[in-house]
Amino acid sequence: MRWGMVIDLTKCTRCHACVAACRIEHFLPLHVTWPRLLALETDAGGKPELTTFPVRCNQCKDAPCVKVCPTEATTQRPDGIVVIDPNKCIGCRYCVIACPYQNRNFLSKEKDPGYFPGYELTGFEKKGKKLYPHQVGTTEKCNFCVERIDAGMEKGLIPGKDRDATPACVNICQARAMTFGNLDDPDSNVSVLIRDRKGFTLQPEYGTEPSVYYVDGRIGGKESNKAPLHAQTGSNMQHLSSVDSDAKKRFDGLA
Amino acid sequence: MRYQTSRQWMITHEWMVKPMQQKEWIEKQGILVWLSEVFSALGTGLYLIAIFVDSWWGALAGYLIVMLLKLPLHLIYLGKPLRFWRTMPPFSGAWRTSWIARGVVFTVLFSMFGFAQLITSYILGSDFLASGQAHNMVYFADVILKVVAGFFVILTGIYCGFMMSYCKSVPFWNTGILPIVILNAGIADGLALVMGIGLLAGGVGVYGPEYFHNLEYASRIVLGVNAVLLGTYLMNASYQSSTAELSVKELLVGRVAIIFWLGIVLFGIIMPLAISFISMFTGDVTTILLVAAIIGHTAGAFALKYCILKVGIYKPILPKSLVF
Repeated sequence: MRWGMVIDLTKCTRCHACVAACRIEHFLPLHVTWPRLLALETDAGGKPELTTFPVRCNQCKDAPCVKVCPTEATTQRPDGIVVIDPNKCIGCRYCVIACPYQNRNFLSKEKDPGYFPGYELTGFEKKGKKLYPHQVGTTEKCNFCVERIDAGMEKGLIPGKDRDATPACVNICQARAMTFGNLDDPDSNVSVLIRDRKGFTLQPEYGTEPSVYYVDGRIGGKESNKAPLHAQTGSNMQHLSSVDSDAKKRFDGLA
Repeated sequence: MRYQTSRQWMITHEWMVKPMQQKEWIEKQGILVWLSEVFSALGTGLYLIAIFVDSWWGALAGYLIVMLLKLPLHLIYLGKPLRFWRTMPPFSGAWRTSWIARGVVFTVLFSMFGFAQLITSYILGSDFLASGQAHNMVYFADVILKVVAGFFVILTGIYCGFMMSYCKSVPFWNTGILPIVILNAGIADGLALVMGIGLLAGGVGVYGPEYFHNLEYASRIVLGVNAVLLGTYLMNASYQSSTAELSVKELLVGRVAIIFWLGIVLFGIIMPLAISFISMFTGDVTTILLVAAIIGHTAGAFALKYCILKVGIYKPILPKSLVF
């Protein structure tokens, strides 16, 4: 079993809900973000396009961060998820440097000033520090909401199908751009998506075998995968147009 | 390059789509890593050369630089310094894959064997033992300890290079030649510092001031090799990948160019080489020139590590076809 995620770039509406959901789920300190939303605008022949890439730890099969960790604080579980034991981490930041995807955060004091710096912690923050303690001086990253997966599976739930066993960012995605499932199962939802829509990973040349895949209209190459060009412009929130036929009509009308 | 600017309302992490400089090991607290690496090169280089030329004071100085400057600086840098013991066997088996863990093991082993070697050398150099069986045994132990401590001091000096060259994320570092560049630079610095200590002690180890000529000769060779290695490293990086090429440009004509040309090329290589050649032709070298060469060498050591760390640039995350 190897958990993985497929992100459909043609559906992402760049609403940042995944970022917010993660923040709430893990009570992240103010200046720490586990999943991120990369935004870039390209201009091919006078046709500007705004593209977003939701990125998070790729839970690589051959993870450089696991190899470089000098204390074995970063380990890989049998299900492929790369986890950090904050009680073992010494904060050398070798993993931060070695991660080709720049998806690790070193939690320094400046990154955790409280949500209202200079004021007392809110009740939410106090609760969060008890429920999900973050250790200043250690490294953190996305863990595919491993606590949700474990708790859910103990109840007999299936990650990717049952909400209680699925990562918070996948649950919250209003455009259903994220799919979670077992990469080792050729019939799983993620495997089918990768196979049918030519899923790709970021920087495959490193040979790290990421568990986060992307599908989109261009890199997948299939004409049928492409969102309408006019909907791919920044002013039209292009990716909403391919959520479903209803939304497509609505946004086609706006164009 | 098709990349333009992100919309103002979507600038979050837009930096990850551009080649960006690593900051963890060179800015703010990261300065400690830089200084630690410099003292690592200076200390290990000095110790290595000192045991070759039988300079007890040089070996002591090299040992102390590693133990009192390199190690503490590296420990202070850690987010959780009191947990450093977790890097060592038997508490962790990370040494099998992690260069930091290996470095800690090498440093600990060097600290033990180096300390023992300093004691045996001190005993041999003093009048504690008259010649006899005890003296021979200590002499034999000293030779063995020099070999073992020398082996571990080389590993301590070179592991920083391997630590960096392992990082595929920073293409400029990701080359096998980097550890050699760093080790050779450390040896060149060691030669200069041994001469400096020789000036203070009035001779190098058991030899008199005339031994400086031999060191000068060795220094010329090592500096020449250093220049060739550095040139090869930069040339190799410039066509290794576009990101590594960018690092080379930053180094040669970018923000750190002044440190590269002044610190590394002028003070670190040209000036000591010129002084060395002057001494070759004149047959003598004045103390002032020698001190200038030693200072230049040391400045070059600081500049080399700073430049290499400073121009470490991450390859952008997004597919090239999409960004460029």
